[in-house]
Amino acid sequence: MTASQLAANPADVFEVIEPGLQTTVQDIGRTGLGAMGLGPGGAADPWALAVANVLVGNAADSAAIEITLLGPALRVLRAVTVGLAGADLGAVVEPGGRRIGPGTSARLAAGDVLRFGGADDGSGPNGTGDAHGGHATGLAGFRAYLAIAGGVDVPLVLGSRSTALGAGFGGLNGRALRTGDRLAGGASPNPTPAPRVWTTRTRAIPSALRSGLGEHPPAAILRIAAGPWAERARAGLASLADQAWTISLTSNRVGLRLDGDPLPGEFPADLPSHGLVTGAIQVPPAGQPLILLPDRQPTGGYAVISVVITADRPLLGQLAPGDRVAFTLTSRDEAAVALRQQHAEFEAALASIGRQP
Amino acid sequence: MRSSRRAWTCAALAEATAVRVLPFGDDALLIELDTVVSVRAARRARLLAAAVERLRLTRPELGVPVAGAASVLVPFAPLLLEQPGHGGLERIADLAVDLAALADDLPADPQPERDAACVEIPTRFGGDAGPDLDTVAAETGLTAAAVVDLLAAAELEVLFLGFAPGFAYLGELPGELIVPRLAVPRTRVPAGTMAIAGRFAGIYPQTSAGGWRLLGRTEVTLFNPTSGPPVLLRPGDRVRLVPR
Repeated sequence: MTASQLAANPADVFEVIEPGLQTTVQDIGRTGLGAMGLGPGGAADPWALAVANVLVGNAADSAAIEITLLGPALRVLRAVTVGLAGADLGAVVEPGGRRIGPGTSARLAAGDVLRFGGADDGSGPNGTGDAHGGHATGLAGFRAYLAIAGGVDVPLVLGSRSTALGAGFGGLNGRALRTGDRLAGGASPNPTPAPRVWTTRTRAIPSALRSGLGEHPPAAILRIAAGPWAERARAGLASLADQAWTISLTSNRVGLRLDGDPLPGEFPADLPSHGLVTGAIQVPPAGQPLILLPDRQPTGGYAVISVVITADRPLLGQLAPGDRVAFTLTSRDEAAVALRQQHAEFEAALASIGRQP
Repeated sequence: MRSSRRAWTCAALAEATAVRVLPFGDDALLIELDTVVSVRAARRARLLAAAVERLRLTRPELGVPVAGAASVLVPFAPLLLEQPGHGGLERIADLAVDLAALADDLPADPQPERDAACVEIPTRFGGDAGPDLDTVAAETGLTAAAVVDLLAAAELEVLFLGFAPGFAYLGELPGELIVPRLAVPRTRVPAGTMAIAGRFAGIYPQTSAGGWRLLGRTEVTLFNPTSGPPVLLRPGDRVRLVPR
């Protein structure tokens, strides 16, 4: 039985009119289940997930709707407060055409239709340079997060409400949303929080890193630290940082494939499989690197030459096919400074909208 | 054993006898026990992961370890690892030394787990269920019947899980059955398909892409996230393939 075949549920918040390219329910994922063969899953941009959630008074890791480039049209079934963060995918409320920008919350009325019209070109009312709910970078962005006060109510499976697309469980029936699906909201201690605006400009790539990259700088510069195979791939590591790469069309929630000059060196196909982290940069024998995203496997046998630092991993979820990226090697101390700064800015932004950290 | 201050360089952070603690970005370390796959290395990895689990009771900065074929990945929370008066570099190096010491204490050749289950998996070999049986037989110089006999006689152990929820890497295969993966993976392998590659056997829990050589199929459920134990096979379990 699908959700659309169920009798009307008073908790239902949205009915899907158009599903969009890949619209799924995601929370922060399932950690620590590698011994069962499970990767973590969860939001591809956990930062934007957190922003969307706190805007409506939810815990930062609550389940929300992850929207990919071409967004859905959702009929509002009962009055609800929503929070939006991540990429600006052109959300408007019909009738009336009211725009909802990332980093804001809004009250929707029963009968409204929330429609994502497509990526903003930057010229609209939200092209302010901080249009990504805290992602102040050169990225147009790829994923938006739509939170509802009380969270999205789908069953908790193995400790999470995230949709595992590969194995087909979690979220709504283990798959992306389809026309006719209905999504219920959870109980909220404060179902009508006042509209909020997220004011931080954190996550900016330091301008120092942008210098020396020519007239057409990449959309993002990802900071990387050594991986277990780095010692055996010094030339490859240098080549990784020496060129701009293009995100391949074959990328998905499992990983981002990088198009560019193949890395020099020999990369074995069949190392003894070892544990992985999201952000690990694997190099298969052909020398074309890929960066692992949350729907990755828990273990793998390709050479991991480096790893995107923790502070920059949420950006990976905003990289779209065709985007150009570059890498810069960083030290552990720099990585810790970046992470500490990110945490501090998140807490400051929480305080700015009246939430306790 | 020695430690190194060059914590964020490419070099191993600590070494014990034939053990290396390698960097894995800013929030994990990899304890490499061996560079080749074996039942012994996988047992040592599982024992080491259990030791790291015990260490977690007093070290809240450590995440859940992941035992691989011959290694253990140890995630940690970078900001919890730092403490006032300590530079991050020294703390990482200290952790690497502690992990190398745990590895140093492992038995050279551990016994199988006492609480491991013995699981029989009824399997249909060949035909539509195992389209690669004849080519594997040709490559190994055996008859198809001899390949099935060797598999049925093999004492397989769940070395670790990976690839997909519920997918158990079973090993080691007898030397006569070691064949490479397909050069080009299939885009669709049906759920329940039993396959081999290198030193491993495995069963695809869900329909998925796959590059292993397909020999048979079983009806058993290997992964069920919503009822009972989520996975049929757990690390350390013994598995016997029973031809049907």
